[in-house]
Amino acid sequence: MTSAAARGLVSCSECALVSRPAAANAPGYCPRCGQKLEFRRENAIERTWALLVAATVLYVPANLLPVLATTTVVSSADDTIMSGVIYLFASGSWPLGLIVFIASIVIPIGKIVALGYVLITVQRNAQANDRQRTRLYRIVEFIGRWSMLDVFVDTYIVALVQLSPLMSVEPGPGVPYFMAVVVLTMFAAMSFDSRLIWDRSTHAG
Amino acid sequence: MQADDDIPEAVAVPPRRARFSPIWIVPILAIVVAIGIAWDRLASEGPTITIIFKSADGIEAGKTFVKYKEVNIGQVTAVRLTDDTQNVEVTARIAKSASALMVEDAHFWVVRPRISLSGISGLSTLISGNYIGFEAGTSAKKGRQYVGLEVPPIVTGNTPGRQFVLQSKDLGSLGIGSPLYYRRLPVGQVVAYDLAPDGSSVQIRVFVSAPYDKYVVRDTRFYNASGVDVSLTANGLDVRTQSLVALLEGGIAFETPLGYASSSQASSETVFPLFHDRVTAMKVDESIATRYVLYFQESVRGLSTGAPVNFYGVAVGEVTDVGLFFDPKTLNVKPRVEVVLYPERVVAQLPTGQGVRLQAMVEQQVTRRDFMQKLVEQRGLRAQLATGSLLTGQRFVSLAYFPKASRTRLDWTQAPAELPTTISTLPEIEEKLGRIIDKLEKVPLDGIADDLRKALASLDETLREARSTIQRFDTDVTPSLKSALDEARGALGAAEKVLTSTETNLVGPGAPAQADLRNAMQELGRAARSLRVLADYLERHPEAIIRGKTAEPMPK
Repeated sequence: MTSAAARGLVSCSECALVSRPAAANAPGYCPRCGQKLEFRRENAIERTWALLVAATVLYVPANLLPVLATTTVVSSADDTIMSGVIYLFASGSWPLGLIVFIASIVIPIGKIVALGYVLITVQRNAQANDRQRTRLYRIVEFIGRWSMLDVFVDTYIVALVQLSPLMSVEPGPGVPYFMAVVVLTMFAAMSFDSRLIWDRSTHAG
Repeated sequence: MQADDDIPEAVAVPPRRARFSPIWIVPILAIVVAIGIAWDRLASEGPTITIIFKSADGIEAGKTFVKYKEVNIGQVTAVRLTDDTQNVEVTARIAKSASALMVEDAHFWVVRPRISLSGISGLSTLISGNYIGFEAGTSAKKGRQYVGLEVPPIVTGNTPGRQFVLQSKDLGSLGIGSPLYYRRLPVGQVVAYDLAPDGSSVQIRVFVSAPYDKYVVRDTRFYNASGVDVSLTANGLDVRTQSLVALLEGGIAFETPLGYASSSQASSETVFPLFHDRVTAMKVDESIATRYVLYFQESVRGLSTGAPVNFYGVAVGEVTDVGLFFDPKTLNVKPRVEVVLYPERVVAQLPTGQGVRLQAMVEQQVTRRDFMQKLVEQRGLRAQLATGSLLTGQRFVSLAYFPKASRTRLDWTQAPAELPTTISTLPEIEEKLGRIIDKLEKVPLDGIADDLRKALASLDETLREARSTIQRFDTDVTPSLKSALDEARGALGAAEKVLTSTETNLVGPGAPAQADLRNAMQELGRAARSLRVLADYLERHPEAIIRGKTAEPMPK
């Protein structure tokens, strides 16, 4: 089974209409919906890599900088994501801790690792596990938005707990970095062209 | 040789796209940001210091802050016992911005709520928990190891003002934080006190905050303003108090004596004596002081050390010692009073022009002695005891001229020289009174009383006798007197009859015997009056019948 591109055809990324390209270099526009046609997304791998690297770099400050500064009359504490998770586990609310742990630590790392794995396999022309890799990519794309959970929790708490002067909660400097990580991984997932997985596939689906 | 066909075809490698995709700006930016954060973190990493405290009361790792002027400059990262387990070692990470403050002589202490009479401090720690207070030092050397203070310093280093050291015999009721008053205005505090190295006095460190520190000049006197100062002196009862706080917890006041206010400002760390009370403190510091000894021939009761020496009511010195003197030659013990005279006090009382002249005179010992000698030997200057208050019996030494006093010489070879004395005026009166009492004592009151009693007894007897006489008179004389009177009345009646009968012929107008008769009548009237007087007298003095009329005047 061959792909449309292999047969000199191009499929629209918008409405999936398969059409003949206007020229080999410039496929032109979709006759049905007017979307600019591409055999494969331009520089998809490079772009994904770039965003992924940026996300990986920013993941470090996102986890080291505090995301929540709690000030009460008796104390003031800065919590990073990890210290918050530890606190939740230690204080007994482990289900909540587990949710935060998965949403804020497992998912971002999983996304980065998964995307990296997919990219590497594509670049190496790996031909195995095409379906699994595609499923992985699908999961990454779907789950992306949910890793903003931590930021949502932050915003809720900051908005709710304003009992100044008794207690106040301020977002920490780590929040923007964490948001950047989430957004960058989402962009990375979007900029990747999943058709690349199949380009070298021998899979007879 | 090989055939041309064997020549292999060159490999055509498509030119690699070296194009730089703008998407790579994103990860480069991310790396720059991450490095920036890391750099920022590393750069803002301040020094780590250790502070030794006796106890870690209220200090928790990660929760206790180090605050300077109520601003967080660091956080405690660890609390552990020292190696000898005697103290607590607190490790704190100080912010980079405050690292310059961590010099050798900086101080740390634990801020706890403190309640004292002069105020409540650290109340915020009741809810926020204790924190570590910090005071910057002035040293240039960096420090990383500190020993924490147990008591917070009262005055932080950069509060404008100056510190002075006061020397006192004892601490009194003073304590750290005791107020310092200037014209009853709290202008400073006691910041520390300690025994002098030799243990002979107490050194009290006071801080006078700006701008009041400029009122501390070299001649400023510091004195204890603790509590109520009640003193009973020759001047009478004197009660002084400062504010209620000073009353309760003591305090120090300072004041500059008049005329010294313009002297130069005292530099920081100047040592001042701490006087016991204001009166002692405010005595003008006389540079010229002449000591004299006085030997009295009378009791010096009521004379105490510090009592004034007055010259015609003007204070010119004070009593420095009251004691006894033993003269081995005459085996005589007599009261001894040592005084110190300040000639400058006399100068101060003079009009300006004269003061300068006398000042010049008293400044030289020779001229001063000469002057004093003239006063004593020619003018008769003598010292005598005088009573300041009859109520309290406090006495003072009075100097006055006694031109009639016996000549004496002022002997400068003795130190101190003896100033001649004269008996005080009060003892003179006492002596006179004593003499009168002595005379009164000589009067034989007992004999007089005896005589008086005897006289009274005889008088009693006499009266009794008189009564019996009167009774006799009553029984014996009165009836005859009565008949005599009756007869007299009869005679008068007859005379009346005669008169009425003779009126027409004798007494009628123009009767010749009328004048004679009137005369006779007048004589008769007089006789009757005499008789009445006699009767009256007899009634009052019946004894007259026996003794006759005495010469003593009649009692009124």
